[in-house]
Amino acid sequence: MASRHSHDKTWYGHGLPYVTKKRLPGHLIAIEGTDGVGRSAQIDLLRPWLELEGYAVSNTGWTRSPLLSETINEAKAGHQLTVTTFSLLYAADFADRLEHEILPALQAGFIVIADRYMYTAFARNSVMGADPDWTREVFGMALVPDLVLYLDIDVESLIPRVIMGKGMDYWESGMHLALGTDLFDSFERYQSRLIDEYRRLSSEFGFISVDARLPIEDLQGEIRKHIAEYLSGSNGKSRDNNGASGTKE
Amino acid sequence: MQRGKKKNLLTPTTFSLLHAVDFADRLTYQILPPLKAGMIVLADRYVYTAFARDVARGVHPDWVRSVYSPALRPDLTLYFRVPIDISLERLLSGRAKLKYHEAGMDVGLSADPVESFRMFQSRVLEIYDQLTTEFGMRPIDASAEIPDQQKVVRKMVQEILGDYDLKRANGKNGVTSQPR
Repeated sequence: MASRHSHDKTWYGHGLPYVTKKRLPGHLIAIEGTDGVGRSAQIDLLRPWLELEGYAVSNTGWTRSPLLSETINEAKAGHQLTVTTFSLLYAADFADRLEHEILPALQAGFIVIADRYMYTAFARNSVMGADPDWTREVFGMALVPDLVLYLDIDVESLIPRVIMGKGMDYWESGMHLALGTDLFDSFERYQSRLIDEYRRLSSEFGFISVDARLPIEDLQGEIRKHIAEYLSGSNGKSRDNNGASGTKE
Repeated sequence: MQRGKKKNLLTPTTFSLLHAVDFADRLTYQILPPLKAGMIVLADRYVYTAFARDVARGVHPDWVRSVYSPALRPDLTLYFRVPIDISLERLLSGRAKLKYHEAGMDVGLSADPVESFRMFQSRVLEIYDQLTTEFGMRPIDASAEIPDQQKVVRKMVQEILGDYDLKRANGKNGVTSQPR
């Protein structure tokens, strides 16, 4: 990975045939990990550091597209969704952000930090019983990230963190799967399955796994170390070729 | 979906996926239950609409087929084929204006809606012709008189129905499903 030029991005599947893939000098970094593992706290710490290092940074997050975030929340409230309609809504949200946020930012040489990426859909769908091949084909329009950092945690360590945080919610506990009437038991089962799936995906797609049980500052240190390593490997070329990656926002 | 369409925010991919959401929802709630109950489902438009329209907008033909792969293959698909001029005439006589997406204005082929409609729908028709072969759709000449079309349609449907048991579902044999 380190020797690869950063602008050699590839589509995961068929991509977006109507989009001429221009040079993409930016870097696409995905942060994956289950609910409540601390992704957003880590991303909040990452951004100012990268900006001080001289990079322009753009954030993008799951279900945050202006087009669909409302629709998805409404549909969730109505409980009308099946795993298929759920996946397609997530894919639409993702495609919207890909075309309107991620690609333009990469073209402008930004570092794009994605809070969750297509792997979240792969993990969830597989737990919910959707055909894994189908999910992957639907996300064929995605761009393969340059780096995927996986915040790994075991369910025993996750539980107190979630309870001390915003508490166990209906969806994160997988109550929609009707694994039981007890929120705690359902959370434990659903999250264990999700974590198993994330770990499987981690080895399949070559995520860089970091130990999310570490104290927040130590975890940040780990994450920065991996990002710095990636950037020094890929930037020798692209930084010289393109001033944009050194430009502040 | 209306929200996205109004703001003209949709890209070919999000346009395609949002229609797929609507379709998957219809499949679960409107199409599969009556089929399992032994009823006849008449679907006004099916996956082939997406295969033609979304590919004309630029998405990959294999991708859109994958997106719709949870769908069932219909027992019979009737394709009402009409030359572009007639469809344009029918649409313009029925209402004052062509719809933005129907005219393919988002594709940017022409700033004039009528011209854009002509160019975009010609593409769509061309793809429909290929799909007719690929999926064995039965073409019907939709420029013919309506009673004549209906005769042809009934004959094709009867062939398919064969010895379908009309007594099932207490005489309530048919439902229709349309995109929203």
